[in-house]
Amino acid sequence: MAEGKGPVDLEKEVLNEGLCASCGACVGICPYIKVVKDRVAIIEPCGISEGQCYDFCPRTPTDIAALERRIFGEESPDSSLGSYISIEMAQATDSETRSRAQYGGVVSALVTYAMNQGEVDAAVLTRPFDESLMPTSVMAEQSSQVLGCAGSSYITSATLAELNKATKQPRGAIGVVGIPCQVMALRKMQASKHETGAKGVKLVIGLFCTWALSYKGFNEFLKGKVDPSSIKRIDIPPPPANILVVHTKEGAIEFPLDEIRGSIKPTCNICYDMTSELADISVGMVEGIDDWNTLIVRTPEAKRLIDKAKQGGVIETRPLEESRLDHLREASLNKKRRAISEIVKRTGDEKNLLYLRLSDEESRKFL
Amino acid sequence: MSILTVDQPGKSVLMMGNEAIARGAIEAGVNFCAAYPGTPSTEIAESLARVAEHFGLYAEWSTNEMVALEAAAAASLAGLRAIVAMKQNGVNVCSDFLMTISLSGTRGGLVIVAADDPSAISSSNEQDSRNFAKFADLPLLEPATFQEAKDITKWAFELSEKLGLPCMIRSVTRLSHSRGNVKLGEIPEGRPVARFEGAYIAGAFVAIQHSALHQKLEQARAAFEESEFNWYVGPEDAKFIIVTSGSGWFYSREAVAALGLGEKVGILKIGTTWPLPERFIIDHLRQATEILIVEEVDPFLEQNIKVLLAEQAKTLGPIEVYGARSGHLPGFGDINQDKVARALASIKGLEYRTRDEVYAQRASDLALPILPPRMPTFCPGCPHRASLWAIKAALKLDGRDGFVTGDIGCYSLGAGPAGFWQLKTLHCMGAGTGLATGFGQLGQFGFNQPVISVCGDSTFFHAAIPGLINARFNNSNFLMVILDNGGTAMTGFQPHPGSGYDALGRPAPVVEIEEVCKAIGVEVKVRDPFEVDQAIEDLYDMLQEDGAKVMVFRRKCYLVESKEKGRKRVFVEPEKCIGDDCGCARFCSRVFNCPGIIWDQEAKKAKIDEVVCTGCGVCATLCPRGAIVVEGG
Repeated sequence: MAEGKGPVDLEKEVLNEGLCASCGACVGICPYIKVVKDRVAIIEPCGISEGQCYDFCPRTPTDIAALERRIFGEESPDSSLGSYISIEMAQATDSETRSRAQYGGVVSALVTYAMNQGEVDAAVLTRPFDESLMPTSVMAEQSSQVLGCAGSSYITSATLAELNKATKQPRGAIGVVGIPCQVMALRKMQASKHETGAKGVKLVIGLFCTWALSYKGFNEFLKGKVDPSSIKRIDIPPPPANILVVHTKEGAIEFPLDEIRGSIKPTCNICYDMTSELADISVGMVEGIDDWNTLIVRTPEAKRLIDKAKQGGVIETRPLEESRLDHLREASLNKKRRAISEIVKRTGDEKNLLYLRLSDEESRKFL
Repeated sequence: MSILTVDQPGKSVLMMGNEAIARGAIEAGVNFCAAYPGTPSTEIAESLARVAEHFGLYAEWSTNEMVALEAAAAASLAGLRAIVAMKQNGVNVCSDFLMTISLSGTRGGLVIVAADDPSAISSSNEQDSRNFAKFADLPLLEPATFQEAKDITKWAFELSEKLGLPCMIRSVTRLSHSRGNVKLGEIPEGRPVARFEGAYIAGAFVAIQHSALHQKLEQARAAFEESEFNWYVGPEDAKFIIVTSGSGWFYSREAVAALGLGEKVGILKIGTTWPLPERFIIDHLRQATEILIVEEVDPFLEQNIKVLLAEQAKTLGPIEVYGARSGHLPGFGDINQDKVARALASIKGLEYRTRDEVYAQRASDLALPILPPRMPTFCPGCPHRASLWAIKAALKLDGRDGFVTGDIGCYSLGAGPAGFWQLKTLHCMGAGTGLATGFGQLGQFGFNQPVISVCGDSTFFHAAIPGLINARFNNSNFLMVILDNGGTAMTGFQPHPGSGYDALGRPAPVVEIEEVCKAIGVEVKVRDPFEVDQAIEDLYDMLQEDGAKVMVFRRKCYLVESKEKGRKRVFVEPEKCIGDDCGCARFCSRVFNCPGIIWDQEAKKAKIDEVVCTGCGVCATLCPRGAIVVEGG
């Protein structure tokens, strides 16, 4: 873990380099860092040289192996998908949940279940298309709020800022649903010597993620084509479709993915994690099967919850075909390859992998 | 009961220079007063407004000084006596009318009081408004004492009526805002009837009008030669004479006394400064071989006297002139008895020390450690602090090196630490908007920095509207943030067209700022700057749009609000305060810097100074740990 660096370094190494993931881990700790839409900025230098902001950022040097040891008790043996106990297909048994959700509704079902069972008292979630293209972060305290946050947003909101707000009023056990960068930042918060907003986090559900779009870029793109307030759902069908589909109240509009790639956040190009390898539970799509999820269970506590949820009848699971599993590995490895390639392009030095601290063995796989 | 209404001629009353001027107007039977607030002139109109009902006179706060002068001129053209008061910048604002009313002439006495602010204690520039009188060919009077402030004003109306010309009185901060004893005169009876007759056209045979104007000035000069406002004190045969006007009078007397030169040095004091009472001056300079000219700010008197000396060279012989040109006095900034004494001492080869050097060193050693450097700040609870923090945050989040053009008002202090150094330009009323509309056109030259102009509510009505219309008409790209705190705050919270009451405190129609903006056709939002996060988000969103946009940050001046509605108690829960640590780094007391928040050095915690805090509660919303509590929520 990087020590001895603070906001000045954060600005220099991450914000000014366009590498901010807008995860929100640095927002809400102090009055000096703010977020609007998906833009994070340091408003005023606080004068402190060693700061939590630098510590928590998923784009500052991160000892992933140390985090893995802390969460899983050992370093991940599988470099493509991270540490796991099981990988299956799963879906919510409730059809309303599935219809509101992007795919199988597993995340919504699990979070609702966890809240109803008292496993967590509140959940940090993200609500897409809240009257605008920009998603909203929500600290849900009633399980009835969960379904309102169902669905994928292809724009990141500074979700972890909600956790930091929690330090003003403690909320008991918290569950968090996030994308890989947010999960990584959350784990860095938990590993910190400071008392952080992550205190109380008992359940971390990570989503699969290939990339996210910048609000500004995507908003500009849609101007004149789609009224953001009419969007009900956005979907990217599996290759070879190469399109992005916007579902509005009036119907579905397709856009060539190539026209949208320019709005991908630069930080996503150096992201090493497709399946939220540091989460307790990871959930993603099953290509081609719209009402099922891929469910990765990583920790014993997570397994306990999943088993309970299955017994409780809120989710059902099915084995994942070997070919699908291979495909998932390949996709994840491709993302890692692209990340390393992009990082080396930036640094010009194979030894300088920016925020990644990989073992020699790991590096050798990609260089 | 106001000093102005005291009807006891001969009674000596302590009053402010501005009050003396107002009293002089009352004793002249003034009927009409119009002004725009401006330090150091504000109290003139303010005190007249306070007694307006009592005397049956009309008083108004006008939208700006040009309108004020025009409105007062109307009263004059209708045969009434009218007075206008303004600070130096106001003279600039009404200059176009000044340069034309001199040609058309006036009827009832019209007196224009220009109160200058040497050293710009409370201004964005310093200037010597006496130059305007010469420029406009108007008679100029400069009171030197509090008594004179009253008597000169009264006489100015007579002079103005006799000549059919406005008469300018020039005061400075030292006179306007100090107090001295004034013997009262009589208050006249009678209410004139207003009636307009004739025509007052500037621009009809201007050359002839201009020539006629010069002749009027010669009549003024003739009157000045006999004036009681010019005098000489000192030895009859003095070879060294100080020639002075205005505030220079008291300073010169003190300097002469301090150096014990009363037997050697004479003081010639001029109260009718333009046109020069030439014969009077020549008579008193016959024996002189050296003169020192003492005045604030420009060498106005000095240069005019040098012209006179050149013309009279044969009669007077060579006279050495000391003053600004010779470097004995600065020619800028305010003067004081010390500067005058130093000049005198240096010319006379005398030693002059204001105090013992050992004492001076000890005083400095003692004072400096306990006197912290104090930059100008905003009052506790001032909404501008929150507004400028929101602006700073929005610009930083925007990330394109945007900047703020500033304007005149309390928020002008936003150029310094109080406003987080946000204002990057500052000139005169309306300039922020004018500059912004220019910056907003530079896109074709590769300019991509967002521009925010900040402008007060009173400033908006005074000067910024044409700039905004220009922006709309010419399609300029900027965000105008109007800081609406409900009144003309910097000068004492006088009402303006948006306030809902007039100079006499009577209910008045409200001109809604956002309705004016809508009528101009620009997008306008109204927000409370105390809702800081929302304000930041809204500003950021507006910065992403093209064209001219307006954000009105509406929140009443909290000093006024807390007086009207009472103060909530705000306090820090010390166990929650993290002070120096990461997560705070003393944000409230060090960065946000409200004077109501102090840092307890011993406890290493923030603390609310309950005497200073007005209870606005903004710090409580910004504290990252919720350690600041507003009692009662």
